[in-house]
Amino acid sequence: MKILVCIKQVPDMESRFKVNAAGDWYDQSDLAFRMNEYDEYAVEQAVQLKEQLGGEPEITVVSIGPERVGEPLRKALAMGCDRGVHIHDADSSRKDPWQIASLLAAFAREGSYDVIFTGMQSQDRGSAQVGMILAELLGLPSVTTIVGFSYEDGQVTVRRELEGGARSVVRVPLPALFTCQLGLNQPRYPTLPNIMKAKKKEILLVKEGDFALTEGRALTSRLFRPEKKGRGLVLEGDVAEQSQRLVEILKIKTAVFR
Amino acid sequence: MAAKLFKGSEYLITEVSKNDVFTPEDFSDEQKQIGETTEQFVINEVVPHKEEIEHLNYELSAELMRKCGELGLLMIDAPEEYGGLELDKATSMLAAEKFSMAGSFSVTYMAHTGIGTLPLIYYGTKEQKGKYLGKLMTGEWVAAYCLTEPGSGSDALGASATATLSEDGKYYLLNGTKQFITNGGFANIYTIFAKVDKQHFTAFLVERTTEGLSVGVEEKKMGVKGSSTTQIILDNAKVPVENLLGEIGKGHKIAFNVLNVGRFKLGATATGAAKQAMTEAVKYANERKAFGVPIATFGAIQEKIADMNAAIFASESVVYRLAGMVDDRLATIPKDTPNYYEAYQEGIEEYSIEMAIAKVFCSEMLADVVDEVLQVYGGYGFTQEYPAEGFYRDERINRIWEGTNEINRLLIPGTILRRAMKGEIPLQKEAMKAFESLMSPSFEELDDSIPFAVEKALLANLKKAFLIIAGSGTQKFMDRIKDEQEILLAAADMAINIFAIESAVLRAEKMLPTCSEPRKKAAESAVKAFAFTANEKVATAARKAAYYIEEGDTLAMLLAGIRRFTKYDATGLLQAKRNLAAAAIEAEKYIF
Ligand SMILES: Cc1cc2nc3c(=O)[nH]c(=O)nc-3n(C[C@H](O)[C@H](O)[C@H](O)COP(=O)(O)OP(=O)(O)OC[C@H]3O[C@@H](n4cnc5c(N)ncnc54)[C@H](O)[C@@H]3O)c2cc1C
Repeated sequence: MKILVCIKQVPDMESRFKVNAAGDWYDQSDLAFRMNEYDEYAVEQAVQLKEQLGGEPEITVVSIGPERVGEPLRKALAMGCDRGVHIHDADSSRKDPWQIASLLAAFAREGSYDVIFTGMQSQDRGSAQVGMILAELLGLPSVTTIVGFSYEDGQVTVRRELEGGARSVVRVPLPALFTCQLGLNQPRYPTLPNIMKAKKKEILLVKEGDFALTEGRALTSRLFRPEKKGRGLVLEGDVAEQSQRLVEILKIKTAVFR
Repeated sequence: MAAKLFKGSEYLITEVSKNDVFTPEDFSDEQKQIGETTEQFVINEVVPHKEEIEHLNYELSAELMRKCGELGLLMIDAPEEYGGLELDKATSMLAAEKFSMAGSFSVTYMAHTGIGTLPLIYYGTKEQKGKYLGKLMTGEWVAAYCLTEPGSGSDALGASATATLSEDGKYYLLNGTKQFITNGGFANIYTIFAKVDKQHFTAFLVERTTEGLSVGVEEKKMGVKGSSTTQIILDNAKVPVENLLGEIGKGHKIAFNVLNVGRFKLGATATGAAKQAMTEAVKYANERKAFGVPIATFGAIQEKIADMNAAIFASESVVYRLAGMVDDRLATIPKDTPNYYEAYQEGIEEYSIEMAIAKVFCSEMLADVVDEVLQVYGGYGFTQEYPAEGFYRDERINRIWEGTNEINRLLIPGTILRRAMKGEIPLQKEAMKAFESLMSPSFEELDDSIPFAVEKALLANLKKAFLIIAGSGTQKFMDRIKDEQEILLAAADMAINIFAIESAVLRAEKMLPTCSEPRKKAAESAVKAFAFTANEKVATAARKAAYYIEEGDTLAMLLAGIRRFTKYDATGLLQAKRNLAAAAIEAEKYIF
């Protein structure tokens, strides 16, 4: 069995974000970066599957981005992936989900993977599209936002999270792609011995230019902070006065009484 | 790898370049990763139990230690031969720094991995390591170190515990009482120091279940309440002869070499604790309103934030610079050297001066920080509702253990002078040169094209000031200088602050070429703010020493020299502090 995990490096969400000079994305300087949270579930699930199968499957972890994505790749290797692939792209944040998925597809096509895991979405762009487009491009079935995963005899049964907290159970034959959601598992800490062992694992460096490039289909034209909402208003007086005042406000500012 | 391998204390007589220092910006992916695993472990597994830990729960502490073991956090310093990782000191310090967030539990962890386990690693025989090291690395067993006694703390070699060989020659019978033993209440193995035949200071590995060993009651402490501190009472404790550690009469080597590393590591934990405390204070300053505005908008609060940030920057620079120095030296020892750990100990001992500097500087930095953090919280800082009072209480012990700050201060000039006498460093020659430059007027022009030219010129001068004071002191008192503690303490303050300024400057200089404009500005501001404060400390110490040593014309000459050599043009100081404060207030944390 061959497993592929696609991971992305995103800024630490506790960072203070600033809009960049061009006004179309956030300023990346001085940010601390880490592995996208949903991708950690993806890595963990891949490693659990490998462990379930007695260590037979080989897990490849791939990431697109600048120099620094070596860090999350190393982390994935320390968590138990076998080899890393770094598709070097200094400006990957300029690519839309279609282009990212196309690049991943171009890479994954050669590998004929049985199982592909991605995060449900990235914490910075949040398009939730890359996994699905990648599956389409590879002609694979995909199941999104999984919160449970089990494998038996070539067949995968997953639990999905639906709107409003409902769950569904889906069975799919392999090969297939899964996008991972919070609640799927508890990602392990890379242990110190594994961190040191990961140092010896290979990370293959390829350039985005090595693959046929696709045109973008969607452009993020502007990034901005939402305008500050008006201040809250505290109503005073007794209950009757307060409710009267509230009705007046609702009449003026909303359509509820029309 | 640094460009040059420095001798201990050599920084005082030579110029050091940025390529000679290791900095936190130089961490490898693996080092960062280990830092992250440690941090995540502490945040997710320890911090949620903080309350319970503070009430001292042996079970919980033992369980957390086993979890540390599972992650490999107890095998950082252990040799590969026994399944350890044998990582470099930079990694070890980073893990220690991250662990400090665990509060009291970090004391348990540090005592176990440091003074608890290192004696065995450094001096244990194959059999001893085979028997115990595995258990200590998995956390199945917890370790403690028993040097202090009720009647001897600083004067550790004055211990009165004894060890007497049994008549059948199979056991040593240990008698005496050990005081203030961290992890005492629940440790499984103790490294105990006692005098064989009442005179030969020797270390023993003593299991908890040893007949004749008992544990005293828990001390009621001011801080680090979640760590165990007890007496260990030895009443004819029957220790098998094979558990003698190292050699008879060589216990002092074990005691002191282990303390060297402990001092160094304390610098790292103090740095981590300061970062955490400062971060809480900045968050609070942004939330708390007074006179209708957040208190973070007041210059008074901003100055505190700037000073804290600058001091922590220096502290971090000291710790990792030293880690780099030690790692570079230890890396020159081939692993297959027959007496590897002997050579290793020499490598560590080479930097005993810098290790004492790290201990004193970082613990006092933390003391200043927690004091200001509490002040930022105002009245709420004085209550247990907020974390400031805990930081304040927990800090205090750091200036006492691992050698009090007085003992460590005395050790700095004491060791420097001893090395000079032995001819290991050309102190006299350099001191002569410094005296000569005192007599001749200065025509130096600053080369503005060099980054931090002002600070570098200052450092060169401060080193001269140190040499002049050290030279005057030894000239006046000769051998008796070792009894003139007030002068030695002042000289130590000079040496400490010179090392700290230099570490901060070189790190900032190394950062500049690759960092963003805002970060560059912040680094320059931190250097200016710190250099100003630290230089004032050097100047005060130097003047004090001059008054202690000399009088009349010679005194006047010394004072004039000090005035000249401690001159620092800190133009733009206010703006620098405001920049630094603004950056920290925006980020709501320590910013480097
Ligand atoms: C919470 C806690 C945990 C500890 N854990 C351990 C442990 O695990 N193992 C262990 O062995 N010890 C431990 N200690 C002991 C600690 O290391 C000692 O308390 C410390 O070394 C100081 O010794 P003392 O308390 O006897 O003070 P003293 O030596 O009596 O010192 C009192 C004062 O005199 C000063 N002084 C002493 N001698 C000189 C001198 N020659 N010149 C100038 N000034 C001097 C000191 O600086 C200090 O200010 C612990 C202590 C505490 C409080």
